[in-house]
Amino acid sequence: MNTAIENHWYPVAMISGIDGPRETLLLGKKITLGRKDGTCWVKDATGKALPTVERFGHLWTSPGQPNRDLFTIPEADSPGRRLVDVGSVKVKCSPLRAVENFLDIAHFPFVHTDILGAEPHTEVDRYDVKIREEVDEVWATKVKFYQPQAAKSAAGGITTEYMYRVPAPTCSVLYKTCPPRPGEWDIITLFVQPLTDEWCEVWPWMALYDDESTMSEMVSFQQLIFMQDRSILENQIPRKLPLDPGMEVPTQADMTSVAYRRWLKKIGYTYGAQLVAA
Amino acid sequence: MSWIAVGLKKDVPPGIVIPSRLADTELAVWCAPSGSYHAWSDRCPHRGMRLSHGFVRGNTLACIYHGWQYNEAGSCDYIPAHPKLTPPDTICVPTYSCTEAGGVIWVSLEATDQPLPELGGRVPVRSVPIALSAENVAAHFGAGSAPTVAVVSDHDTVLALQPCTDTLTMAHVLASPDADPKAVSRWVEDLRATLEGVPA
Ligand code: FES
Ligand SMILES: [Fe+2]
Repeated sequence: MNTAIENHWYPVAMISGIDGPRETLLLGKKITLGRKDGTCWVKDATGKALPTVERFGHLWTSPGQPNRDLFTIPEADSPGRRLVDVGSVKVKCSPLRAVENFLDIAHFPFVHTDILGAEPHTEVDRYDVKIREEVDEVWATKVKFYQPQAAKSAAGGITTEYMYRVPAPTCSVLYKTCPPRPGEWDIITLFVQPLTDEWCEVWPWMALYDDESTMSEMVSFQQLIFMQDRSILENQIPRKLPLDPGMEVPTQADMTSVAYRRWLKKIGYTYGAQLVAA
Repeated sequence: MSWIAVGLKKDVPPGIVIPSRLADTELAVWCAPSGSYHAWSDRCPHRGMRLSHGFVRGNTLACIYHGWQYNEAGSCDYIPAHPKLTPPDTICVPTYSCTEAGGVIWVSLEATDQPLPELGGRVPVRSVPIALSAENVAAHFGAGSAPTVAVVSDHDTVLALQPCTDTLTMAHVLASPDADPKAVSRWVEDLRATLEGVPA
């Protein structure tokens, strides 16, 4: 048992989607989950109850003994936000590749063409990245990018400002300029369930200011984006994320990814990682 | 190591990139607008994306993930996230010898001074996947251990064999310009059925 991997909280279901008991995989091992009298439960393959947390519309569990509480997103509680369960997408790639792709803006013009980016607006300006030691999280701030349609609620092209936060190895929170409310941030998260080290279930969740779009419009907008990402994620070689420098070539635009990989290495999080060059 | 067929010219016109493979080597095969052919390792050095999913732009192959452009020598010469930057020479894709002759795209994974296979004026008809190793397909014609090209007496055809996996060979079929392509096509379908042991 590797505590650096097992002592984390992992998303395993959208609470609103749990009907009967269901089997799934966590870190390559079978678990069962369900809901009884309004409370969710999770069991491992031997029938032992695992700890649970219900937060952000999702059920979280851990095969180990988490030494801290599941992270919070205080901004998401402010009134007027609409909380959107997007559902899930299964992707044949390392959970870490899925998170890293979420942290990347340079691909917008090529993968999310005319939605999150468009040529010739491809330049990525310098932004700030740091590992915040006191909370043990990776943060990228002052990330700016021109977007033709930043959100379902955006009327036309705008320069969007982003902040990225990695509060857990397989989770990321994105704070992004909110088109109808300048000064506030929309929140889009990516919660990744590691089914195995090369297969994951991605549970996006959003807390948005958007009074116009219907729930299903917001969900399909986000699902379209994730389908486009999946076509990339399932075609990267290797499927695992190389943590050692040398196998891939980062540039300044990739500073978030560089910090993320460095942080994973520092905390010993090697599930879904490739450590030696193949 | 000699020349091996990886595709037909008519299937890879200028401006097109396709995935191909020679045993364990996965390839991105593309044709520049000038008509020159290239076979590269199917992996972008930036973040590992398959280059065969990319697109040809001008005389470069661009990766679909972040749009990095590689010139015909395989060197990166444009990074869209940093338009003013001249990329260092060290960013390049492994390339293999590749050329087109007789309507067939030929690749050699190692430097070679061997001549291209002699096709006797035959022209490509089609490519057919056969669920057998290249050795097993070649053995059927009494050819040597690992031939890249087998001359077959039926219909006076040439089979250029591309070993894809242990259980898959792509047979690129060539015949005389005077041969009836439909008849050759039917013959190769029968051949595949016989080799794979299923009734035609
Ligand atoms: S992976 Fe090819 S450009 Fe980034
Ligand atoms: Fe994306």
